[in-house]
Amino acid sequence: MLQAYWYITKMKLLTNLTYRFEVFTSVATNLILMLASVFLWQTAYKGDAGAAQALSLQEITTYTILSITISTIFVCDVQNTIYYKIREGQIVTDFYRPIPLLACYLAEDIGEMFSALLNRALPLVVFASLFFGVPWPASFQSFLLFLPSCLLSYAILWLLSALVGLIAFWVMELGNMGNVKDSIVRVLSGSIVPLWFFPESVQNVSKFLPFQYTYQTPLGIYIGNTSTSEAFTSMGVQAVWIAILYLILAAGWARTKKKTLIQGG
Amino acid sequence: MVSTIKHYVSVASCWARLAIQRQLEYPLFLFSWLLMIPIQYFSGIWMLKIIVDRFQALNGWDFPQLTFLYGLGLISHGIFVVFFINTWSIDHMVINGGFDRLLLRPMNVFFQLVASYVNFIGLIDCIPGVIIFLYGAEIAGFDWSLANIGKLILVLIGGILIRAALFTSLGTIAFWTKRNGSMVGFALTMLERATMYPLSMYPYFLQALFTFIIPIGFISFYPAAEFLNADSGGLDLPLSFALWTPLVGIICFLIAGGIFKFGMKNYESAGS
Repeated sequence: MLQAYWYITKMKLLTNLTYRFEVFTSVATNLILMLASVFLWQTAYKGDAGAAQALSLQEITTYTILSITISTIFVCDVQNTIYYKIREGQIVTDFYRPIPLLACYLAEDIGEMFSALLNRALPLVVFASLFFGVPWPASFQSFLLFLPSCLLSYAILWLLSALVGLIAFWVMELGNMGNVKDSIVRVLSGSIVPLWFFPESVQNVSKFLPFQYTYQTPLGIYIGNTSTSEAFTSMGVQAVWIAILYLILAAGWARTKKKTLIQGG
Repeated sequence: MVSTIKHYVSVASCWARLAIQRQLEYPLFLFSWLLMIPIQYFSGIWMLKIIVDRFQALNGWDFPQLTFLYGLGLISHGIFVVFFINTWSIDHMVINGGFDRLLLRPMNVFFQLVASYVNFIGLIDCIPGVIIFLYGAEIAGFDWSLANIGKLILVLIGGILIRAALFTSLGTIAFWTKRNGSMVGFALTMLERATMYPLSMYPYFLQALFTFIIPIGFISFYPAAEFLNADSGGLDLPLSFALWTPLVGIICFLIAGGIFKFGMKNYESAGS
C-alpha cells in the first residue's frame, strides 16, 4: 500500500527535477520578493524606530527569509489538481485507482515538496545568506521545535487547499477559488507582516482562525519569539485545527463522492 | 495613409468585440478574479499602513503619499494589462504555431499580436487601482487642476509604453529559445516592487538600475515624487516628469520594436 504512494511521490519528484528553466525563474522571482521585503523592513527600522518593537531587525529579516523559503516548499497543488481534473473529466479515471484519491494527490504534492526543497528552497537560502548573512535559528532547541511545527503547518495548509478543491465539485465554472483562498492566507497567516504588528483587534480575531498557525507559529518558534512552553501550546492548537479540518474534509468528501457518482450515471 | 489607418482601426475594433464576447461567455469565471484582485491589492496597501503606523514614514514617504504611489502604479498596470497582455504569451504562440498565422497576414505583426486580444478582464485590476489612487490623492492633498490632470494622463501613457517595451523585449527571447519560462512572473514581481513602493528604499545600485538601464522608476515613482513634492532619492531632472516619462516611454518602445523586428528575422517556426 505505502509502496504505491512512494511510487507516486518518486515520479513527481523526478518529473519536477527535469524542468530547469522554470526553476531558475522561480528562484529569481522569490529572490526579488525576498530582497524587496527585507529592504522594506530595513527602511522601516531606520533610526530608532525599531528600538521599541516586538522584533529586532535581525529577527524580522530571518523571519522574512524563512517565510518566503517555506512558502516555496509548502506545495498545495491539490486545489488546482481537483479543479483541472474535474474540468477535463479525468477525475473519473482517477476514481478507478485502488487507493484513496486524496491520498494520491497528497503523495504527489509531497513529491513536489521534496524537489522544491532541493531546487527552490536551497538556492534561496544560499542567496539570502550571501546578501544578509545566514538566517540562523535562535537556538538549537528552537530549530528542533521548528521542524515538527512546520509539518503541522503544512498539514493545515494542505487540508485547507483540499477543502477549496472540493468546491469545484459543486461549482465547476466558478473559476479558481484557490487563488482567492491563497491571497487571504498570505495576509492572515502573517507570512508578509507578522500578526504581532497588526492592530490588537485583528490579532484577537485571528487567534480563532486557522491561518496564523500556518506561517507565524513555526516562524515565531524559529526566531525564538515563542518560548518553549508556548511552542508546545501552539503546536497543540495546530493539531486541533488539523483534526477539525480533517473531519470537515472527510464529511465533505463522502458527500462529494456520491454526487460525482450520480453525475457519472 | 488614411485608408490604412482606417483599415487597422476597423480590424482592431472587430478583434476587440470578439475578445470581449469571448470573455463574457463565462460570466461566473470573472467572479473569482473579481474577488481575488481586490483582496490582493487592498491587503497590500493595508500591510503598508500597518508598517507605517507601527514604525515610521518610509524614507520620508508617509501613508497618504504611499497610497498615491501605490494607486498610480496599479492603474498603469491595469491599463497595460487590458491592451498589451498578449505580449505575455509570445512564447506560447511560438511553440503552438500561432505566431506563423500572424506572419501570413498582410498587416504589421506587432499590431496583430497586441490587438488580437483585448483583455477586458484586466479592467478588474483598475478597480482597486482607481479606488486606492483617488483615496491617496484625497488624503495626500493632490491638486486636481487641469494642468495636473493633463500631466497625469501623459505619465500614464508613458508608463504603459515602458511596461509594453519591457514585456515585448522579454517575449522576444522566445524567438531564440522557443520559451521564456515564467519570465513574466519575474518581471511582474519586479515591476510591482519598483512601481508601487518607493524606489528610494532600495540600495543605490538598484535605484540606478531602475532609472538608467531598465527605466521603470519613470512609470510611477519619479512622477509621484514630483506631484507630491516627496523625496525622489536624489534624481532631479529639469522640466517635468510629465514630459520625461512619455519621452522615456517612446524611446523604450521604439527600442523594443527594433528588438522585436530583429528577433523576427531569427524566427524559425516550431511546428512541422
